Amino acid sequence: MKTVSEKISFGDSLTLESGKVLSGFELMTETYGKLNSDKTNAVLVCHAFSGNHHAAGISDGETKSGWWDEIIGDGKTIDTTKFFVVSLNNIGGCHGSSGPTTIAAESGQPYGANFPEVSVSDWVEAQKLLADHLGINCWEMVAGGSLGGMQALQWAISYPEKIKKAAIIAASSKISTQNIALNEVAREIIKKDEHFHNGDYLSKGELPKNGLKAARMLGHITYLSESNMSKRFGRKLQDPENKMDADVNYEVENYLQYKGEQFSKTFDANSYILMTKAMDSFDPAKDFDNDLVKCLQNIQAKLLIASFDSDWLFPKEYGLDIQMSAIKAGINSAYIELDGDYGHDSFLFYSDQYAAALKNFLNSNG
Amino acid sequence: MDSKLQSIVLNWIPNHSKVVDFGCGDGNLLRILTDQKSVIGYGVENDPEKINACIINGVSVIQQDIDDGIQNYKGMGFDIAVMASSIQCLRKPRDAMKNILKVANKCVITLPNFGNWELRLGILNGKMPSSAQLPAKWYETKNLHLCTIADFEELCRDESFVIKKKVYLNRRGSSSLLANTFPNLFAAQAVYLIG
Repeated sequence: MKTVSEKISFGDSLTLESGKVLSGFELMTETYGKLNSDKTNAVLVCHAFSGNHHAAGISDGETKSGWWDEIIGDGKTIDTTKFFVVSLNNIGGCHGSSGPTTIAAESGQPYGANFPEVSVSDWVEAQKLLADHLGINCWEMVAGGSLGGMQALQWAISYPEKIKKAAIIAASSKISTQNIALNEVAREIIKKDEHFHNGDYLSKGELPKNGLKAARMLGHITYLSESNMSKRFGRKLQDPENKMDADVNYEVENYLQYKGEQFSKTFDANSYILMTKAMDSFDPAKDFDNDLVKCLQNIQAKLLIASFDSDWLFPKEYGLDIQMSAIKAGINSAYIELDGDYGHDSFLFYSDQYAAALKNFLNSNG
Repeated sequence: MDSKLQSIVLNWIPNHSKVVDFGCGDGNLLRILTDQKSVIGYGVENDPEKINACIINGVSVIQQDIDDGIQNYKGMGFDIAVMASSIQCLRKPRDAMKNILKVANKCVITLPNFGNWELRLGILNGKMPSSAQLPAKWYETKNLHLCTIADFEELCRDESFVIKKKVYLNRRGSSSLLANTFPNLFAAQAVYLIG
């Protein structure tokens, strides 16, 4: 699989939904496969809340395969011998694209908490500039799970003529009150870390690692299903040799400790806050008198809406809600309910049924 | 769906109409309706394999149980509903019929006729009958509420479902004098436009 990692600088100033302006920005990108001469085989994959540009394979300097490696690759569901797959780290992220850890030109200091609030439609605007840069006039498909699915939906709404198919997986047209509440608890945990300093921790040479770790532990529970956790860990006690923490009793505790610890080393706390805020505020119908049907009416892309039965964070009713509105709007849309063992995280993993649906959708005509 | 039946259904569905097909199977009918009659079509299907076939066909489909699902499609602006060889698989066919007529003003129903002589012979032989229209063995059939043409038309009278058009087809899938004169005995399938 031909893989290219590139950080691309954009001179364009980007007016954000908040009204603030980013004068120039950078996007960290990774592409897989080859763009054909007509530039008609491009697929954009959008990362979820804590994902990044590294979606597939392992290229130089990377130690882990990408977040959608089970789906993207030569001969895989999104076949890179056939399609040119574009992945990027969204603005506000912390893996190479402009975000809170970037040095602001004006101050010479990291933006930190001063990085402007970003939204899903801001990401789509930045992705549109990336498409222009790559010479891609129309995506064959834009796909993503969770917050990534929201970007796929936003693409179909914002640029009806520039996207043929949108795969909206384990996502919703707006998140629930309960999701906002969970995000707020995570933000609160981070902000109350003594090293957070109202978001200016970088200039003080500190990191709110404990807050970030605990927030991630909470989040991680919501990404899994109850049955998956039971099956995987049950009530097994942690082997004493490999305890993350002396107080740990059960394997599940150790697992969360480990995952939280790893995450806190690689993610930025201000990015965490920005990303969750972007998720909270996503509601494309708000520009259409809060009428989702009206909001979907101009879509020309075909939609695939997929939900997983074990997902309690974005339950199937959310996907069905988009589908019912799509039917009212009279647009082409398929809704499928998939078996998934991993709760919300099911969208990351290959299963025959899931892969078949996505592959058939990507390769369908009409 | 065989070709004669399909051409009747195609004829009854107006160009550019918004169609819902309950039990749409692999989505072939909707594909043809979309290509030939420019309909805006949606299928409702609960079998994941068939859903995938619909996706391959590029047909809009919703994975849902029909018995539970029909009433969700009220107020969606459907001009016509189709239920092809599915009504006998439903848990509550009468309620389903009532609901379908709330989803769209008109509906096309096709059903296998359990009164056909071939099936009657099977019963006389003391066995659960089978035919080209009803091939499954008794232990694996999805049919819960098989009926004869006489039964179905009685239901329509009782519930004031107005049969606007109907066609009876024999075992070879064509109209014949016998099937038209004695449909309950000689028709293998019936197709109705109800509204």
